[in-house]
Amino acid sequence: MRQTMRQTLRQTRVLAGATAGLLLLTACSGGGEDVDLDGGGDGASGAGAEASGPVLRAAIGGEPDQLDPNKTSSYFSFQVLENVFDTLVEPDENLDMQPALAESWETSDDGLTWTFHLRDDVTFHDGSEFTADDVVYSFDRIVDEELSPSWRFGAVEDITAVDDRTVEITVSQPSPNLLSSLGGFKGLAIVEQANVESGDITTAPVGTGPFSVADYTSGESIDLVANPDYWGGAPEIGGVTYTFISEGATAIAALQGGEIDWTDSVPVQQLEQIQGDEAVETGVVPSNDYWYVALNEKREPWDDVRARQAVAYAIDREAIIQAVSFGTATPNQLAIPQESSWFTEYDQYSTDVDRAKGLLAEAGVTSATVDFLATSEYPETVTAAQIIADNLAPLGITVNIRTVDFATWLAEQGEGNFDAFMLSWLGNIDPDDFYYAQHHSTGGSNYQGYANPEVDRLLDAARTETDTAARKDLYAQAATTIADEASYIYLYNPSVIQAWSPQLEGYTARSDRAIRFRDVTLAE
Amino acid sequence: MTQVDPTAGSAAGSAVGPGAGSALFAATVGLAGNAPPRAGAWRLFRDNPVSVAAALVLLVVLVVGLVGRWVAPYGINAVDVANALQPPSGAHWFGTDDLGRDVFSRVLVATQVSLRVAFVSVAFALVVGVGVGVVAGYRGGWLDTVLMRVVDVMFAFPVLLLALAIIAVLGPGTTTTILAIGIVYTPIFARVARASALSVRVEPFVQVSQTMGTPSGYILRRHVLPGVSGPVIVQTSLSVAFAILSEAALSFLGLGVQPPEPSWGRMLFDAQGFLGLAWWMSVFPGLAIFVSVLAFNLIGDGIRDVLDPRQRTLLQARRSTRVPGRRRAARTGGAA
Repeated sequence: MRQTMRQTLRQTRVLAGATAGLLLLTACSGGGEDVDLDGGGDGASGAGAEASGPVLRAAIGGEPDQLDPNKTSSYFSFQVLENVFDTLVEPDENLDMQPALAESWETSDDGLTWTFHLRDDVTFHDGSEFTADDVVYSFDRIVDEELSPSWRFGAVEDITAVDDRTVEITVSQPSPNLLSSLGGFKGLAIVEQANVESGDITTAPVGTGPFSVADYTSGESIDLVANPDYWGGAPEIGGVTYTFISEGATAIAALQGGEIDWTDSVPVQQLEQIQGDEAVETGVVPSNDYWYVALNEKREPWDDVRARQAVAYAIDREAIIQAVSFGTATPNQLAIPQESSWFTEYDQYSTDVDRAKGLLAEAGVTSATVDFLATSEYPETVTAAQIIADNLAPLGITVNIRTVDFATWLAEQGEGNFDAFMLSWLGNIDPDDFYYAQHHSTGGSNYQGYANPEVDRLLDAARTETDTAARKDLYAQAATTIADEASYIYLYNPSVIQAWSPQLEGYTARSDRAIRFRDVTLAE
Repeated sequence: MTQVDPTAGSAAGSAVGPGAGSALFAATVGLAGNAPPRAGAWRLFRDNPVSVAAALVLLVVLVVGLVGRWVAPYGINAVDVANALQPPSGAHWFGTDDLGRDVFSRVLVATQVSLRVAFVSVAFALVVGVGVGVVAGYRGGWLDTVLMRVVDVMFAFPVLLLALAIIAVLGPGTTTTILAIGIVYTPIFARVARASALSVRVEPFVQVSQTMGTPSGYILRRHVLPGVSGPVIVQTSLSVAFAILSEAALSFLGLGVQPPEPSWGRMLFDAQGFLGLAWWMSVFPGLAIFVSVLAFNLIGDGIRDVLDPRQRTLLQARRSTRVPGRRRAARTGGAA
């Protein structure tokens, strides 16, 4: 979930700066261009010793805070760990769940027992065998220690190993979203008990994935080498070296200069120019993230649905999208993007000042002042706030933009000290991720204070509905009501924007921001 | 600490310095007493072409600050994304920014915002600082010690660091910025005023007033305040320049003036992401800061030249000879 994740990103940056200082002292050598293949075998019983092929050089925006997939919430960590760890199931490019460590599964007739059959050809990077006990250990650890993905186990009652190759999960109510809960992202990765207990997992994690971590030089780079025993087939490239470049212009210059092969630090204002460069390939894919504006319904006049609708009609979505994303984002008046199978068509709102004025008059509002919470850590919030301020001025609504640091921002949001704010949610796959916590009257992220018994009923029903078509219909109804009543004023789905060298083949940018290098080739 | 404060050095030195000549003494008395404002000071100022040029530039800046909001050709917050990032043209003299707002209009209005922050904060520093300094210098004793140690503590912090700390506590915004800048520039005024008050206190006419039983308040108003006015005027001019820079720095960090209100620093902050794409977004507000700060500095120098008795004497003897002390003082203002 974005909010916590991004907060960690911030801390990560600070950490990277501190460790960069340390690095000077220890004077580590090496430009991080080549993986030391011999070093990769060190302590990993020869794994990677046979790896060959060119090494991919990837630049990510910052250094991971740690490499324990169940603990970190930093996207920088997952950019690396996506290639090191596996989950029971994993999303394909359409975000449908596909077999991974579990090759098949079935549900009992009452929908309360899920049985997963595990692959029998999987070993960890240190050579030890992967069994059902590892699954039970990993999931129990997340639940018992209340690690960041533990909320995904809300409906899970028990996890047991029936035998070495079978895991049984019982749930308290039918849970059609269990697969995406267990495999939606690498935060649910299966880890090795010995690796966790030795404490090495934070810097030298042992997984089952296509690459193993060979070397982690804090502040400089993380080197992965190909896992020749990978159950999905050994990668063609010899490994991946991650370096950390936070400045987008610097990353692009490095890519154009041939110093790196891949980056996701792409400044949108430069995108057009980059796309015209034959030495660079770009991927622009609509993501499952969404940006929205919320009005505090515990404060007047925003407790009146007509006042909120007035704002929704006054906002110029197109202008906001153009300004913050240079047209790379897709306008959307609901949360779920068009590419998803859960997409619902909805276009109730259009910029209509007269209608907005009418609604406001009906609500008996002649003027209002809005305390708009923004944070310069997400410059889009400051940019959009200025546009919204201009949009609302003709309605007699004065928008005072309050720019604070993100920690303060989160605190103010939590305490309800705002009239309005703009932010986004990311990492959503199942429709429950998009709507429940944000709009259910008891939802953990319902900071705007929206409460509608009908929406509660729909969201609760959809949670346990096992028939996909019926479930989709329930979410469509809930989402439509949510948008009609402007609990959130949805703005757009941003795009995942990445750039890589033409030598890198077989790579695709994914809408869930998972960075997968296992199937790529790299021409030398 | 007074002796290391060169701004105040000349005034204090002229009274207590062993080699003070009679002409110098007369000048000091003229400054300190309630004689009509220095005859000839204006003439000296007028004859310095640099000062006159700076004054003219400043006049333009001030007029822009006063009327800018009303003569701006476009609404400063009128978003027009379809016309974003347009280079300077006949329609938009300074181009448009990333939201399609007219940079020329925004620079005009930013002039008012930046100047208001600078003037109000320096006025705050002046009133509080001079008050503290005059009382400390005139009263002396334990009060002087206490007040001046507090001032020393405030002086120990780098200006921006102290301002950042104040904003961290009070939250960002225009009012906070004014307060923060005002507080950090208070100590320099306190020192300048105290040094002058110390020297005035021992003047014969003040001593006589005291002996005659004149109330302290009257003496302070009638004799001490006019006595400190010269150095304080110079300090004010220099401080305004540095207050403009401080406001720009704080706004550039996103902590000063809040969007959509433009200030020169805020405009630079907004331009950061577009340095390579739209030079006009940063160059014009940058130029405005440069010109204004330079003008205030030069005026400050010019006023010092004509008001500082020792330099005035030198000036009268050898017009426009640069004196090392003057340069040093200017730089001290910068460091403070």
